[in-house]
Amino acid sequence: MWRVGVDVGGTFTDLFAWHEGTGERRTCKVLTTKNDRSEGVLAVIADAGIPLAGMSVLVHGTTTATNALIERSYPEAALVTTEGFRDVLEIGRMHREFLYRPYQTKPSPLIRRRHRFTVDERLSAQGETVRPLDVGAARAVAGRIAATPIRSIAVCFINSYVTSRHERAMCDILQDAMPDADVVCSGDLRPVFREHGRFTTAAIAACLMPVMRDYFDQLERRLADGGFGGRLLILKSNGGMMSARFARHHPEELIESGPAGGVAYAAHLCRSTGFRDILHTDVGGTSFDTSILPGGEPLVTRQYELEWDVPVMVPMLDIRSVGAGGGSVAWVDDGGSLRVGPRSAGSEPGPACYGRGGTEATVTDANLLLGRLHPSLGGKFALDVAAARRAVQTVADAMGMSLLEAAEGIVRIGCETMAHAVKAAISSRGRDPRDFVLASFGGAGPMHACFVAQALSIPRVVVPAYAGVASAFGATAMDIRHDIEAFHYSPVSSADPARIEAILAGLQAEGHARLAADGITPDRMRFIRSAQMRYVGQTYEITVPLPEGGALDAAGLERLGSEFHETHRIEYGVASDDFFPEIVSLGVAAIGVTTRLPDTAAAVVNGDASRGTRPVYFDGHWHDVSVHDGEVMGVGTDLSGPAIIEYAHAIAVMPPGATGRIDRDRNLIVTLA
Amino acid sequence: MSQIITAETGLSGTPDQVDPVTFEVLRSLFDYAAARMSSILQRSSFSQILADNVDFSNAIYDAELRLLAQAANCPVHLAAMHFSAKALAAKFDIERLEEGDILVVNDPYNGGTHINDLTFMMPIMHKGRRIAFAVSRGHWMDLGGGAAGGLAGSNHVAAEGLRVPPLKIFRAGKPNEDVFDILLANSRTPQFIRGDLQAHLGALRGAEREMQRAAERYGTDLLLAAMRQLIAYTERISRKGIEAIPDGVYEAEDWADTDGQTDDPVKVKVTIKVEGSDITVDFEGSDRAVVGAINSPVANTAAAVYYALQFFVGPDAPANAGMFAPIRIVLPDDCWLNAKWPMPVVNCTCITAGKVAAAVWQALAKAIPGQIIAPTFADANWFMATVTTNSGTTLFTDILSGGWGGTPFHDGMSVTMDPLGNCLNTPAESAELMHRIVYERFDLLQDSGGAGRNRGGLGSAFEVRFLGHGTLGIETSRTRSGSPGVNGGDTSPAQRMLRIGPKKSQVIGGLAADGSWKNPISGTHAFAPGEVFRFEATGGGGWGNPLERDPAAVLDDVLDEYVSREAANSQYGVVLSADGLRLDPQATAARRAELSRERRNPHA
Repeated sequence: MWRVGVDVGGTFTDLFAWHEGTGERRTCKVLTTKNDRSEGVLAVIADAGIPLAGMSVLVHGTTTATNALIERSYPEAALVTTEGFRDVLEIGRMHREFLYRPYQTKPSPLIRRRHRFTVDERLSAQGETVRPLDVGAARAVAGRIAATPIRSIAVCFINSYVTSRHERAMCDILQDAMPDADVVCSGDLRPVFREHGRFTTAAIAACLMPVMRDYFDQLERRLADGGFGGRLLILKSNGGMMSARFARHHPEELIESGPAGGVAYAAHLCRSTGFRDILHTDVGGTSFDTSILPGGEPLVTRQYELEWDVPVMVPMLDIRSVGAGGGSVAWVDDGGSLRVGPRSAGSEPGPACYGRGGTEATVTDANLLLGRLHPSLGGKFALDVAAARRAVQTVADAMGMSLLEAAEGIVRIGCETMAHAVKAAISSRGRDPRDFVLASFGGAGPMHACFVAQALSIPRVVVPAYAGVASAFGATAMDIRHDIEAFHYSPVSSADPARIEAILAGLQAEGHARLAADGITPDRMRFIRSAQMRYVGQTYEITVPLPEGGALDAAGLERLGSEFHETHRIEYGVASDDFFPEIVSLGVAAIGVTTRLPDTAAAVVNGDASRGTRPVYFDGHWHDVSVHDGEVMGVGTDLSGPAIIEYAHAIAVMPPGATGRIDRDRNLIVTLA
Repeated sequence: MSQIITAETGLSGTPDQVDPVTFEVLRSLFDYAAARMSSILQRSSFSQILADNVDFSNAIYDAELRLLAQAANCPVHLAAMHFSAKALAAKFDIERLEEGDILVVNDPYNGGTHINDLTFMMPIMHKGRRIAFAVSRGHWMDLGGGAAGGLAGSNHVAAEGLRVPPLKIFRAGKPNEDVFDILLANSRTPQFIRGDLQAHLGALRGAEREMQRAAERYGTDLLLAAMRQLIAYTERISRKGIEAIPDGVYEAEDWADTDGQTDDPVKVKVTIKVEGSDITVDFEGSDRAVVGAINSPVANTAAAVYYALQFFVGPDAPANAGMFAPIRIVLPDDCWLNAKWPMPVVNCTCITAGKVAAAVWQALAKAIPGQIIAPTFADANWFMATVTTNSGTTLFTDILSGGWGGTPFHDGMSVTMDPLGNCLNTPAESAELMHRIVYERFDLLQDSGGAGRNRGGLGSAFEVRFLGHGTLGIETSRTRSGSPGVNGGDTSPAQRMLRIGPKKSQVIGGLAADGSWKNPISGTHAFAPGEVFRFEATGGGGWGNPLERDPAAVLDDVLDEYVSREAANSQYGVVLSADGLRLDPQATAARRAELSRERRNPHA
């Protein structure tokens, strides 16, 4: 049986599959079918020659949720909230994105004001009833919504992170009036404090539920029609997977799950290469994504924003994105400075060399003129060199540079922008890039990886064997993961270890139940416990791991305190015993370990990898550069830069002075001069 | 006698020495270093006003104390901080500063603005050579004085808290505990002092780390050359922006409602003279110094001019000293915009800066009517309150934003911090966790935006209930009339504040039902347990004639209850069907014709 990963991106739908019996591996890429993305999923499986009935597991990553949110293309939803707080979604936190820009607007609210209703009720910050829910008013609101076609409703009351009993009562009234409605209770969904983040997250869940249910229904129907009898698992934002059944109820966990596959691939590389600290980078057409895996573990953040001032309070992989990719446009600003991005030519019209009417110079055009991309792109596509030259020449003329100087400058600035995103990901966590190995994913990633690494003084780069279908590969290397948390406020000095243990046990039981429902047996379950902590008086928390093994005791609490001081020092550069640590909430990550791709490279075929030489421009000169076929390069092969390695779905560039070696999993390990 | 403020950098015409690619690399590195400072300060600070409200700013200066890069925080801080830096440099010879030295100042008459904003400055050294400065300014919760947060509304600066002259608070990394002790002994919130200091220290060190790494990688000479080039580059963009404004002399006025001590409005008069790529902003004709706490120190007045112009001169240029260079400011000697000791100043950063900026925009409206946006609510509506119960007194704060003016292209933003800052509101759930209060409301206020072809963004209604004895100090204005419109747009309604008790509610600031006007500026508005403080913040001014607004947009506004059906009729001339769900095109046309005749000023 096949284990199959399919990632649906903005432009391409990628597949990676391996056979449980023979170890055979397959990759495939088709264009994303934008109207019904499930069509492309079926198409890529068919193109790969894998029978639906022959799949035991299909792991699926999709941008459907993110796209629906960004385009606001979901059925209208409603919000019911505490009187006085109708506009939390619209006001946000009151700040603006561009400090001095006179013409700016804020993101349009997820739910329109005419569909935001209020009822009288109030809980205190301690969870006591200040005013009970006005049941008459609540029923009237339910009646008004029932009279509209709206059937997705978020219920968001102030202080419901302490107890959601008022919200639940409201939900019951809505469900009574509309048994077919999706009703989301904010305090149950994510009991986090500060209303804006919790309300927004609940609204996102309500808005996405009908969209994702339709999508998964459609996909499951198509799969079943074709004879699929295996398990369908979905990539989620925290770097794990969940069942499609669970995903229907937690669509907020699908946001930005796209790059999660790449991160899982990076974690896989840590295990298979033995590199301890890996930096994940992924270059697509429009954006560059990066994250770090210190000790092989991805970092998780709770500060993600979908758009300006639209936070999603779900633990998410801490991935930084910038607008830098193959399609990033080069331009000259008012002060006469050469800039690259953040605007992208996208896939339509795309870079000038795509010959689809694009006239602006992009990073891809520059790479083509420098000889790093071949005009035939491995025979798949004919690139228009003349169009690329015209586009880059325009920039060169404006800058008073030669054509090739401009082309090399465009690539370098693009790579520097990527390097800054890396620094934001790394140094906001107080770490040094030079301690990491840079792993490069995405079709355009390995073309830029060495230059990004040089900009960061990182000496070593890994080009993984399946870089071009990284997210699909990563999907097959992932675990099921549920992050569950509970609010619990207590200074460490007066914390009650027994109470904390009881809360954690409850969370763990919930995690156990969710994993069991996903079909995970107890021997494959793992639980990681953590606390959200800060100094007494601070407002923001940082995540501190709780000691593993055994129940928390007084000594464990003390260790937790010192662990917090140290984490604070790493994050912010300062820490002091003058201040007292406190716990704000507790969390459990429930992990269901899944079957891993066998380590052996049984399916690897060695062959004649040489594709001759061609001129490539580096550092102001043309070099005669050897070109290799990455798909058949033998394990143990040594390479020296400058060199070009062409894969089925990616191209790697090794600059002069770099040396490389193909490891046993056919990853290319590059050491920079 | 007038005082003339110029900001030449000595760098204009600096030849480009750094290759364009490295230049771009370093430009974004400097931005990143400044942004990193703010991220550290927000997340590690202890007081609500820094952590929740983000009332702080961070910047990197070059080795000669010229602004090099800043984080996207409060413009009124950012454009004033170099006055603090200069004041510190005047006292402490910067050539003799050591690694780890940190200087501090808040003195309003020596580089500061209001007492609450403390500015920390640290030299960044590399291999024994000074390569830059990190500067971090934060609004501290309380530094003493006659009312919480210094909002005493008094007639002497001594009532506003502890004046900190230029001091060295860290010497080579070692804290000067004497200074700490004085700060601790003079604050209502000593519990925040050490934690906030640690957060500022973290921010300064974060910048130091980034800049030292850059010097290591690129070499000090190249780094310093790129800094000079960057400042010259921004000046080039700014001068281009000014050249795009037609030469001429443009005047406007705006008003603060009161100085808090009398009922008289206080005038800003601005005359902008544009000549080629130079701009002069003259305040001749503005009112003399006043008794109450709205006088504005030079640094604050200049900052308001700088940030107001920045919106239309080079909004996307790298923000550095180059943007100030083409601007000359003329301040009369005896003027409320040129405060001298011991004039009280606490409200200058909000009331005064807001009005100066609004006056500048209204003058620019005459020069570039097709590009200008209508003024905002031009204030912060910042309050500080204490609540006292048997278990003690706590101090909380919030900023009650109104709306931005309509633009040539779209409606103004609703409930967004004024251009003067970029602070965040206080979440209800955060406030209630710490204090004996209930946040009852913070939502959009219907009909609060100035009507216009593109309407002003909406203001807000805010209500907080005191569960103990409350005392509240506030700075606010636009309580006589709201935000002015431009190009035929309407003025928004006036702001006002109320005390709501179980039996009666009472206007305690602004216009009451009987037409009388109550002075809102006081540090001692009192609230009994159970009473509610209500504030109505106004929206932005309207842009263009409201009778030209697309009726479909007005219908949408009514359906979303941004605009009432009555206002749709009386301000926009839009008449709806009986059920209120559709337009009545015929009745609308007739009503618009009628209103058009009534409008005193036909559209421009």
